[in-house]
Amino acid sequence: MAAAFEASPNPYLLLTPDLRIAEVNQAYVEVTGARREDILGRPLFTTFDAGPGEDAPENVRQVRASLEKARDTRQRDHLAVVRYAMPRKLSDDQEVFEERIWSATHTPILNADGEVVLLLQHTMDITDLSPAIRTDEPTTALDALIGGSVLRRAQSVQEDNRRLESERNRLVEMFMQAPGFVAILTGRNHCFQMHNDAYSQLIGHRDIAGKPIRDALPELVGQGYYEFLDTVFETGEPYEGRESLAKLQRTPGGPLETLYLNFIYQPIRDEAGAVVGIFVQGHDVTANVLATQRQKLMIDELNHRVKNTLATVQSIAIQTARSHIDPATFAATFQSRILALSHTHDLLTRTHWEGADLRAILEHETEAFGPTRINLNGPATALPPATALSLGMIFHELATNAAKYGALSTPDGRVLIDWSLADQRDRKLKLVWREIGGPKVTQPDRRGFGSRLIERNIRHDLAGEIDLVYASHGLIAELTVPLDRTPAP
Amino acid sequence: MTQPLNGRRILVVEDESLVAMLLETILEDMECIPVGPASNIDDGEAMARDTVDLDAALLDVNVAGRQVFPVAEALKARGVPFVFSTGYGEGGLPEEWRGATTIQKPFTEAAVRDALMKVMGVAQV
Repeated sequence: MAAAFEASPNPYLLLTPDLRIAEVNQAYVEVTGARREDILGRPLFTTFDAGPGEDAPENVRQVRASLEKARDTRQRDHLAVVRYAMPRKLSDDQEVFEERIWSATHTPILNADGEVVLLLQHTMDITDLSPAIRTDEPTTALDALIGGSVLRRAQSVQEDNRRLESERNRLVEMFMQAPGFVAILTGRNHCFQMHNDAYSQLIGHRDIAGKPIRDALPELVGQGYYEFLDTVFETGEPYEGRESLAKLQRTPGGPLETLYLNFIYQPIRDEAGAVVGIFVQGHDVTANVLATQRQKLMIDELNHRVKNTLATVQSIAIQTARSHIDPATFAATFQSRILALSHTHDLLTRTHWEGADLRAILEHETEAFGPTRINLNGPATALPPATALSLGMIFHELATNAAKYGALSTPDGRVLIDWSLADQRDRKLKLVWREIGGPKVTQPDRRGFGSRLIERNIRHDLAGEIDLVYASHGLIAELTVPLDRTPAP
Repeated sequence: MTQPLNGRRILVVEDESLVAMLLETILEDMECIPVGPASNIDDGEAMARDTVDLDAALLDVNVAGRQVFPVAEALKARGVPFVFSTGYGEGGLPEEWRGATTIQKPFTEAAVRDALMKVMGVAQV
C-alpha cells in the first residue's frame, strides 16, 4: 500500500486534520519541486503560500475551504480548477512564483470510529491543458474545442456550485430560523423531508422526519388538510388557507389545541414539470383571530347591554307617564328613577362590574332623609351586578313611596332596614324594610307602577320572594334573594 | 273600535321585568292577552309546550345568558308563530334563524303590532 502510494504517477499529499503535511509521494515532490524533509510536519499553507500574487489569498482560501469541507463533512470534495502559484528555483538560486492551474480532490480518511485522521489530496497540474485560463489572449476556436472551453466550463460549473452551496446554506439557515413555519413534503404520501423550528413548535416537537403526514400528524384526520395536500399534489395548483382552524396535539398525550393558521401549500416540481413534493409555509395567527373574536363579542355585548338599557328606560318612561298626567311631576319622577339606575351603574363601574355593596346602595337611596331617620343594620354584602341594579331600583321605589305616603312623609317617622345572609354556601339575602312612626297605613286600592316594579323585579329578575305587608303602623317589606345563582347578563 | 289582534294570547319570554312589563302594557293596549312572562329558557319552553291556547310569542333572544332557540323550536313544532326581540338586530341571529321576523330593542308599539300581525297573517287595517 505504502509502496503503491510512493510509486503512483499521481501526486499525493496526506494532511493531518489541522492541515499539516503528514506525507507526500514522489510524484508530489517532483511536481512541487520541494524537498520532502523540508516540508513534512509543516502547515500546508505556510509551506505553499501561493506566492505574492494578487489572487493568492483567494486561491489559498479556495483550497483551504475544500479541505475543511472534506474534513468537516467527512465527504470527498472536488476542486475542478484552482489556480495556485508554486515557487520555482532559478539557476542563480533565485526563487520565482509560477502561476499553475490545478485540479484537486480531497478525500477524508476515517478511523474505525468514523473520525477523520488524515486528508488525502490528489492534485493534477492542468496548466498545460488550459492556455485560455492562463493567459488573457483571445481563445481560438480550436482551443475552445479541445480544452479551454471544457476547462472553462468546469471552472464555471465549480463557481456555480460554490455559489449555489453558499446560497443553499444561507437558504437553509433562513428556512430554519424563519419566524413562520416551513416544511418540505416529498412524494404523494407527503413525507416530511425538512421542517424548521417554528414547525416543530407548532406540532409540539414530535419526531416527524421522514414520516408521511398521515402517520406524523394523525390528529389531523377529518380536518381537511390531508385532502388539500392530495389535491395540490394531483393538480399542481397551490392552496392557500386563511385563518384556517386546525386542532393539533402540542404536548405528548395532551388535549387537542385549537389553532388558526395562515398558510400556503406550494407544489414543488422536478425538471420535467411533474409535482414531486409540496412546500408548506405559514404563520400561527391564533392570537390575532382570538383577539378579533373577543373584540366582536365585546362590541356585540356592549350593543346588547345598551339596547337593553334603552328598553328599560323606555319602559320606565312609558309606565311613569301612565301615572303622571302632569308633565312636571312626570319629569321629576322619571328623572329620579333614571338617576337611581345610573347611580347603581356608578357603583358597579367602581368595581369593574364585579359587584356592589348592599349598604352603599341603601345609603345612596335614603341619604336625603338624614341618618337619624334611617337605621341600616346588616353585614357587608357584595351583590352581583344584575342583583345590584334590581335592588337599586327597588330601594328607590320603597324610599319614594315612604316619602310620599309612608314613614318618611312625617317629621318623626323612621325606616329600619335589617338584613342578614343565610347559608354561606348558597348565599341568600334576607332583608326587612320596616317603617315606623308614620301615618296610619291602609292597603292601596290599586297597585301603582312602583309596587308592581318591586314585585316583578324580585320574582322575575332575581328569582326571589317578596312580601309587602301594609300593616296599620307602617309598611313592612320582607324580601329574600338568592345571591349565587348564575347571573343574568 | 276593536283592535285587529283583540283577544289573541301572546307568550312573552323576556328576562328583564321592566322590558316584560313594557311588552305587557303594549299587548294590553292592543287588547291582546299576555301569557307569562317567562324569565328563563326552561319556563319559556314549558309554557311554549303546555299552554293550551297560544296565538303567537314574543321571544327575547338572549334570556339570562342563554339563547331562546329551544323555545322557538317548541313553538315551531306546534305551529305557533313568533317574533324575536333583540338588541343585536337580525344580524345577531344564527344562520338557521335568519329571516325570522325580528324587532329591535328599544321597540315601539307599532313595531310590536306590525311584527305580530305579520307572523299571524293578520291583514293591516
